[in-house]
Amino acid sequence: MSKNIFAIIIIGLALSIWSCEQPYTPPVNEDEQELVVEGYIEAGDETNPTFVLVTRSLPFVTEVDAAAFEKLFISDAIVTVNDGSNLVTLTPLCLKDLPEEIRKQAATVLGIDPNNTTINICAYIDLFDQIDRKLGGKYDLNVKVGSQLLTASTTIPNFVGVDSFRWAQPPGEPSDTLAQLLVTITDPVGKNYYRYLTQINDENLIAPFTSVTDDAFFDGKNFEFPLQKAERRTADLDPNTFGLFLRGDSVTVKWATIDKAHFDFWNTRDNAANSGGPFSSYIRIKTNITGGQGIWGGYAVGYYRLKCPEL
Amino acid sequence: MKKNYITLLLLIVVSLAYGQKFTISGYVNDKNTGETLIGANVIDTQNENIGTSTNAYGFYSLTLPAGKHIIAVSYLGYQTDVYEINLTADTKHNFDLSEGLLMDEVVVTSTKDDARKNVESTQMGSIDIPIEEIKKLPVLFGEVDILKVLQLLPGVLSAGEGTSGFYVRGGGPDQNLLLLDEAVVYNSGHLLGFFSVFNSDAIKKTTLIKGGMPAQYGGRLSSVIDIQMKEGNNQKYAAEGGIGIISSRLTFEGPIVKDKSSFIVSGRRTYALDLAQPFLKGGNFESTNYYFYDLNTKLNYKFSDKDRIFFSAYFGRDVFKFRQPKRDFFFDLPYGNSTATLRWNHVFSDKLFFNASAIYNDYQFSFRGGQDQFIFKLFSGVKDWNGKLDFDYFLNNVHSIKYGLNFTYHTLTPNTAQANNGDVDFNTGFLPKYGQETAIYIQDDIKVSNNFSLNAGLRGVMFSQLGPYTSKVSGEEFGRLEPAITYTGLEPRMSFRYGLSKNTSIKGGVTMANQFLHLVSNSASTLPTDVWVPSTETVRPQRSIQYATGYFQNFQDDKYETSIEVYYKTLKNQIDYADDYVNDITKEVEDAFVYGKGRAYGAEFFLKKAKGKLNGWIGYTLSKTERSFDGIEGGRWYPAVYDRRHDLSIVGNYQLTKKLEIGGAFIFGTGKWYTPTKGFFFTEQTLNLYYGPRNSERLPSYHRMDLSLNYTPNPDSKRKWKGSWNFSVYNVYNRKNPFFINFETNTDFNSGTTSIEGNQITIFPIIPSITYNFKWNQ
Repeated sequence: MSKNIFAIIIIGLALSIWSCEQPYTPPVNEDEQELVVEGYIEAGDETNPTFVLVTRSLPFVTEVDAAAFEKLFISDAIVTVNDGSNLVTLTPLCLKDLPEEIRKQAATVLGIDPNNTTINICAYIDLFDQIDRKLGGKYDLNVKVGSQLLTASTTIPNFVGVDSFRWAQPPGEPSDTLAQLLVTITDPVGKNYYRYLTQINDENLIAPFTSVTDDAFFDGKNFEFPLQKAERRTADLDPNTFGLFLRGDSVTVKWATIDKAHFDFWNTRDNAANSGGPFSSYIRIKTNITGGQGIWGGYAVGYYRLKCPEL
Repeated sequence: MKKNYITLLLLIVVSLAYGQKFTISGYVNDKNTGETLIGANVIDTQNENIGTSTNAYGFYSLTLPAGKHIIAVSYLGYQTDVYEINLTADTKHNFDLSEGLLMDEVVVTSTKDDARKNVESTQMGSIDIPIEEIKKLPVLFGEVDILKVLQLLPGVLSAGEGTSGFYVRGGGPDQNLLLLDEAVVYNSGHLLGFFSVFNSDAIKKTTLIKGGMPAQYGGRLSSVIDIQMKEGNNQKYAAEGGIGIISSRLTFEGPIVKDKSSFIVSGRRTYALDLAQPFLKGGNFESTNYYFYDLNTKLNYKFSDKDRIFFSAYFGRDVFKFRQPKRDFFFDLPYGNSTATLRWNHVFSDKLFFNASAIYNDYQFSFRGGQDQFIFKLFSGVKDWNGKLDFDYFLNNVHSIKYGLNFTYHTLTPNTAQANNGDVDFNTGFLPKYGQETAIYIQDDIKVSNNFSLNAGLRGVMFSQLGPYTSKVSGEEFGRLEPAITYTGLEPRMSFRYGLSKNTSIKGGVTMANQFLHLVSNSASTLPTDVWVPSTETVRPQRSIQYATGYFQNFQDDKYETSIEVYYKTLKNQIDYADDYVNDITKEVEDAFVYGKGRAYGAEFFLKKAKGKLNGWIGYTLSKTERSFDGIEGGRWYPAVYDRRHDLSIVGNYQLTKKLEIGGAFIFGTGKWYTPTKGFFFTEQTLNLYYGPRNSERLPSYHRMDLSLNYTPNPDSKRKWKGSWNFSVYNVYNRKNPFFINFETNTDFNSGTTSIEGNQITIFPIIPSITYNFKWNQ
């Protein structure tokens, strides 16, 4: 943590004074595309249906248009999930084949904007909710693409929910328009892993820059800490509003407990995305997919819908 | 059996008595300042094969047959001093040498000088650099930097653009033993390594040993950088300093008691961001600051020609304060070294010189930051107490023996974190690790014949991890000072020199070494946040064997020195992090290590001209360095980040007139290895990078040229104040050397478009600087 802040700020200062930039094109080997799995299985009071996206990785390309983009999504894979007693084959669905209403619902589940989506992407969904999703369950995934087989296994751990939320003035200068969201949880003794995402009004649910934590700092304790408003990585960040919520906003927090492998994936991914630059070496994202990249992750999940109060 | 002993004893006695011999011994000093001169050549002019050189304290001892002799003492940059003596008894004589402006102007007849060492010393892979030579070279931001000059020598690679970190013959940055007046310096860099901690004004001499490490040094695998601080002028008061664009420095020295005792105090501080403070006012980062400073001091007292004590100390800190007052966010990040050395020189006899040292050194890194109620603290450090006894026994003209004992008590504090959020506290509770390191050594520089000499040494080392400690393997508890595990090693060191002719020789050597303290970095260069760890029951000592051989030749009356050296090195128990390592302050770093092996080999070509109006050197290295770790890609041998196929440095200095001197350096290196991006993949509508095999691509080649101009308006002025200007341009032709590469991606998942942009960032384009330097003499 200190290392990242340290390096980023110093180099930021140094770079702004002296550095210069020029375009760089790495050596490209188009044949080396890999298969990528992104799938989630949730248990809780309110859940998304189980779905899996199967895509190909991109080599270094400067520009990808919609046609090439759609081709990344593989629609002829065979995707099965074994919950210990059933072997369920997921149904391939492409957005363009769906009636308008269902298409919007599906887009929401997949985390894309239901109203502005023009892209046709294909996913594999447990359409009839055949998988027995429960806390403590273990789920094996098989993805067959042609002769290639990808496998993964995940669990849905016990759910540790949020005790309470509290809106507070942001640290430092008080503000009429901004608020900080504080959350209290009671962490059970033993290793637990958490992840959260936030949604503002009608926007998509997105993950903050550091979306996962283990309980190393608060094992077995009743603990209050700030939740950050998630921001898009591409956005220009304002250090004075970063992580703070606008008063009047509707806020949805998706709060989940996850297993170690699922935590490792997001932990390495978040660190890889947050670092880069001269002083941190590369971090390989730790996948739980055998035979490819990506994540097959179980969530014990709770959704909390809040309103950031006006002053 | 008994008879044999008696015969042997008799033989020795007879050989000692054969032809009466006497010893002349003493010190070699600078006439103006009283500073001792290290490595000065002392020879008998009638028989040039009989000679010696002064040790690290300026002491020499030469044993000669009774009768008339003319003893000559020479030292680079000084006028040779000649002393005529009729030896009828053991004699003490101190030489005082005057500085000569240019060696060419000094009439030297029939004496050996520094250049002869290239072909005549058994030592190979060793280079002395007088500080005056270093000061003439071009600089970055006006800062004279010893470690950056070392990088211009063959076999020494820069760890990165603008950094003072370096790799020697395929070794990691932790494998260099950096000594400042015998004290180990654990972190040699200021400001993320862009500047070294060694203030050039306080330094007398720097010696780099990259191969054939003599037995008196140990504890590191790859090199020794032995830096000696000035003692201070014992004749008159003097000051020296400089005013530069980012920092200024001031040194003051003088006698405490003339001829007996002197002091030197030297300080340096940066102020670039102090000057920026008014511009930060009212902004988001008001009061954010970064500066560093160094303070060197040394005192010495000469009780007699037999006894002398020295006290030297260094204290340096980097201070980084980050403030974001609007959001109540802050952190302070101070770090730095402190060292202290107390030495006592005693001359037991004309032949036996003794030094005892007590050394303390401490490196600390700390971080304290937070926001609102949340406070986070981090601390790590190394602290050593070190005692040394060293003997120099100048037995006769055949044997020159050194032996000694070294004991160090280490305290290493791993990253210990503490956090506090309102009433919830957290503490990693990691205990410091303790260790004791003992070494005993003996080495003999043997002159077998005029052509053949041998330096044979043996160093025995022992390291114990000491309690209080609870075993991670067995759970066993060890009390204070109780050894939890002990490692031992025998390190033979051998080098030889065979003279083919007056001006040519071949040399060879083998060095074994053990290293018990390790620094592992998962970044491209080392950072102050990287933590030193000791060998423990799980972290085994690093070990290496290096074989080296070379051909040495001098041309045109020693005007040109050349050498070709080749080496092969194997490394065991190398340490790294796995590819998916994520910095986790709740775990001890040693629990995340992976272990492997390494090998390095190469050839080094060196041409040096140290005399005349034009001087400088050309160094070229062809090398290969690889590592293999079971935990990284199944043990595949891959090029280490320390690998660079070609590395060329051309360094020159030319005295145009008495007032004007120009200097230049050209550097070319094969691009650094990096782990390339193999592709990108989506999760949660965001593109992620994934990587190809470790270090499987190279950055574009690195090259640049630096120039400097030193202007002394009144070189012959008899005034007490003398000023000079240094104008330097770093990277004259503005080569855009890549420092790192980053990728920016921009995806609109709704419309199904994405773009990826690769950017190569250069941090040091053309950078001019100007420094005003001054000297004042009483």
